[in-house]
Amino acid sequence: MTRMLIGGLMIMALIGTSLAWGAPRKTTVTILAGLSSTDDGMQEIITKAVAAKYPGITLQWEALGWSDNFHPKMQQYIQTGLPDIIVGKAQDVATYGGQGLLADLKGKKYLTRVLDAAIPGVTIKGKTYGLVYNCLYQGVYYNRKIFAENGLKVPITHAELAKVIGTLKAKGITPFATHMVDTWSIGNMTMQFAINDVFSKTPTWGDQFRAGKVSFATSAAYKKCYEYNKLLFDNTWSRETFSLPQADCDARMVQGLAAMKVSGSWSIQNFMNVDPNFDFGVFPFPNQTGDAKLIFEPNMTWMKSARTKHSAQVDQVFDVLTSDKKAAIAFLNLTKTSSMLKGVSPTFPNPSQKDIDKYAAAGKLIDANSGNNQLQWGGFQDENAKDIASWLQGTMTLKQALEAADSRRAISKP
Amino acid sequence: MRGSNGNAFFKGKKPLPAENPAPGAAEKYTLGTGMIQVLMTLAALLFAAPVFIILNYSFKTVRELYLSNPLALPESFQLGNYISAFKKLDLLTTFTNTFIYTAVTVVVLVMLCGASSWAIARCKNRFFKFSYIYFLLGIFIPHQALFLQIYMIGFRTGLINTRLGVILMYIATGMSFGVFLMTSFMTTVPVELEEAAKIDGCSVYRTYFFIVLPLLKPAIATLTILQAFQIWNDYLMASLFISSQELRTLTLAMQMLFSQQSSDYTTAMAAIIISVLPVAILFISMQKYFVKGMTVGALKG
Amino acid sequence: MRRKSFNRREKLQYLSLVLPGLLLFTIGLILPMFLSFSYSLTSWDGMSAAKPFIGFKNYARFFTDPFAGQAWIFTFKFTFWNTIIQNVFALLFAIALNSAIKGKKIYRTVFFIPCLISAIIVGFIWLRMFINILPALNRFLGTNINFLLFGSGKTVLAGLLLANNWQWIGYWMLIYLAALQSIPGELYEAANIDGATTLGKFRHITIPLLAPAFTICIVGITTGSLKVYELLVTSTWGGPGRASTSIIYYIYNTAISGRQYGYGSAMSIVLVLVLFLVALVQLGFLRKKEVQL
Repeated sequence: MTRMLIGGLMIMALIGTSLAWGAPRKTTVTILAGLSSTDDGMQEIITKAVAAKYPGITLQWEALGWSDNFHPKMQQYIQTGLPDIIVGKAQDVATYGGQGLLADLKGKKYLTRVLDAAIPGVTIKGKTYGLVYNCLYQGVYYNRKIFAENGLKVPITHAELAKVIGTLKAKGITPFATHMVDTWSIGNMTMQFAINDVFSKTPTWGDQFRAGKVSFATSAAYKKCYEYNKLLFDNTWSRETFSLPQADCDARMVQGLAAMKVSGSWSIQNFMNVDPNFDFGVFPFPNQTGDAKLIFEPNMTWMKSARTKHSAQVDQVFDVLTSDKKAAIAFLNLTKTSSMLKGVSPTFPNPSQKDIDKYAAAGKLIDANSGNNQLQWGGFQDENAKDIASWLQGTMTLKQALEAADSRRAISKP
Repeated sequence: MRGSNGNAFFKGKKPLPAENPAPGAAEKYTLGTGMIQVLMTLAALLFAAPVFIILNYSFKTVRELYLSNPLALPESFQLGNYISAFKKLDLLTTFTNTFIYTAVTVVVLVMLCGASSWAIARCKNRFFKFSYIYFLLGIFIPHQALFLQIYMIGFRTGLINTRLGVILMYIATGMSFGVFLMTSFMTTVPVELEEAAKIDGCSVYRTYFFIVLPLLKPAIATLTILQAFQIWNDYLMASLFISSQELRTLTLAMQMLFSQQSSDYTTAMAAIIISVLPVAILFISMQKYFVKGMTVGALKG
Repeated sequence: MRRKSFNRREKLQYLSLVLPGLLLFTIGLILPMFLSFSYSLTSWDGMSAAKPFIGFKNYARFFTDPFAGQAWIFTFKFTFWNTIIQNVFALLFAIALNSAIKGKKIYRTVFFIPCLISAIIVGFIWLRMFINILPALNRFLGTNINFLLFGSGKTVLAGLLLANNWQWIGYWMLIYLAALQSIPGELYEAANIDGATTLGKFRHITIPLLAPAFTICIVGITTGSLKVYELLVTSTWGGPGRASTSIIYYIYNTAISGRQYGYGSAMSIVLVLVLFLVALVQLGFLRKKEVQL
């Protein structure tokens, strides 16, 4: 027992000394990073790049999953003070920017190195709160080989999509790969549909919704978006989809078990992990009017705390981010995403790039924030997704699901 | 010195309930026993299967994971996943941290719970009765739902992002169960021995450290194992109190591997094996005391 | 006179043994609980500085919230089945391991190992079991058993029960085992002399003497199951739809992603009261049984 006591005291002493370590000698810039799993590992690239140019800055990372853990952590920090830098998604600017928590980056030199298209999504009332670093493309990813072998053309209207589905089914190929065990994928797909069918027509739909002028239950367009989920559900492995996680679904897509997947660039890393030679393209999910645009989502966004004590150092970090092209390319190659910096392109082979270029050249791109800045994700869109899942599972009617969204009107504002 | 004498004296007089010959042990190995053996073996195989599957996966490559039969053995026993888990989890740091938090918390918790329970068992006045019930209340409080408040208290007291803060929080949340367990053990501690010590002029503290605590060994083993694996596996408290890399725990480092969009399953499998191993070893090595501890706890609880 | 003052000093010393623990416990757990109550009277979103006072409206809302109702139903079902399955299997296993079979230590270790694994990982493991491993087993055996238990609202409870029981049966088994081993062998010998049957011995000796263990296990499993949360966050995410949303999952989700911290706090206060009540009722009932036996 005495030995245990002494052991305990020794351990205490150990903590004492270890508490004394780590007194910063250089300037330590703290970063809270809400990451997708595809981003994990990027910290090393950024740390190295910053250390090369500004050896006086030490970055202290706190990395966690964006979807599960980022928001709770932000809630904590809001009570007590934010870290110097916050890395999140462009849509977080809408959530946190309006509360005076973030610093305005307007007029900074590094902001001029970012594509102009990325600025409006992170600008609120004339103040720019975020530095968008990369972007994702969302739409229907398809297996080029299957399309070529069956003489299929990229569908533009719903009639054409129905034909594609019909042909695939006749050949015994599952038309859509889906994974619905994680309801966020339902939420993501529904938002993709809504961007082209609702928000591209009525950009202020969310504001009108909150003003009581429109509603889910009475909007024919939004009802259609809900119904597309059913179309997918009826044309996928519906028995398994509610058990299937994303990575497994992507692997099945690569194996040719399904021809299409409503998804985003986050699947590319999975595709390539399983088969580096998988040939795929992307097209926008057809909308009612046949003029759907490919969705681009300004993704990883760097924000600066309004009350940081190391304002100059944060600016230096942002300077490195936008000026070190080698680091930027390494980052894009790791995450398999596209750049939001001027004159920077990733060098990994991306079979869907030619499609992206085609839509970009035709001006057929639309920002995902057109929807995300109208309807809050956490607590609203993800709850709607649960309603849709319940409807697909038969425990709720479509009408009830739409009305449930209306009942959450009060918390729909980002 | 006096303490160890007392201990020896006690040991000779009244042995703790041991894994005594069970009623069945005297019986012969009959046909019925054989059938039980078969059934138990089947059950054990079912219980062990998921663990073997993780172990099997932990040697597979990502391509194998998705393209080959899930039941097949890995093509080669490559250690790539373990190496990548080692790197991704920053194992040297996170392992040491987790170990420190677990070890210190358990040691202090055992002392505090033992002290509180002993006092509660000996002083039967209203205050001590009340504090027993008060401690038990904690068993019903779901601390997941209190996370902002706990964080804010940590912040006000300046304990956020310190080792001390994490440890104190673990102690605070572990008290309830510890007191519950230890109090039920106190009936095995004979009052006569304490009274003899008192007549010899021992203070309450001396009596506690040198007479009572040694008698609580089985309870200590039980509490140690139960708390150790909870703290070792804890995510929530650690995530509330720690933000800097040097202070991170194993589970904090692991959480990215288990998020919704995660795909690095093979590394995750290796990480599971790495994280479970230490507590499994702790359990196996302390099993004897642990079962003894459970015996008393279960009977008197 | 002298004796009394000595006692008082002694009492103070005893008091000083309880106080540190009491203090930590109060600051770390009870104080947050009180804060929770004060938040429960507001419509605070968990972020902004304003915490508008709204009285007991959150509590009123809780009783008419259909999703909260669903969450309660799921939680109660989960708890009910857990309590039965875990107790029965833990007891059966304990009896088996208390017989003359060989290799007891190995069995004990195998059954206990799953509860050393964090519930978050257990959820992840079973998600993989249901979608990859068991269907492969189907193909291997040429059978067509539906293993996709997480995939439908009708079977998700069964799937979670499987995962949860895999994790915890070994733990409660040890408690039963310990209790069985502490029953004095003479009792059985005496019964043998009286010519008692095996079943009779079980009914009249084993069961009554196990009463305290029953109490611990039943109360422990019930309160543990009512608080189920970690298991869900890497396996079903409360789905499909909301089919496996437990009350804590719902509270956490509403308070944090749903940005309704006030409402979430009100729900957690109600949960604590329910947990407390359930335990009190069970304890009262079981302790009474103990005395009768």
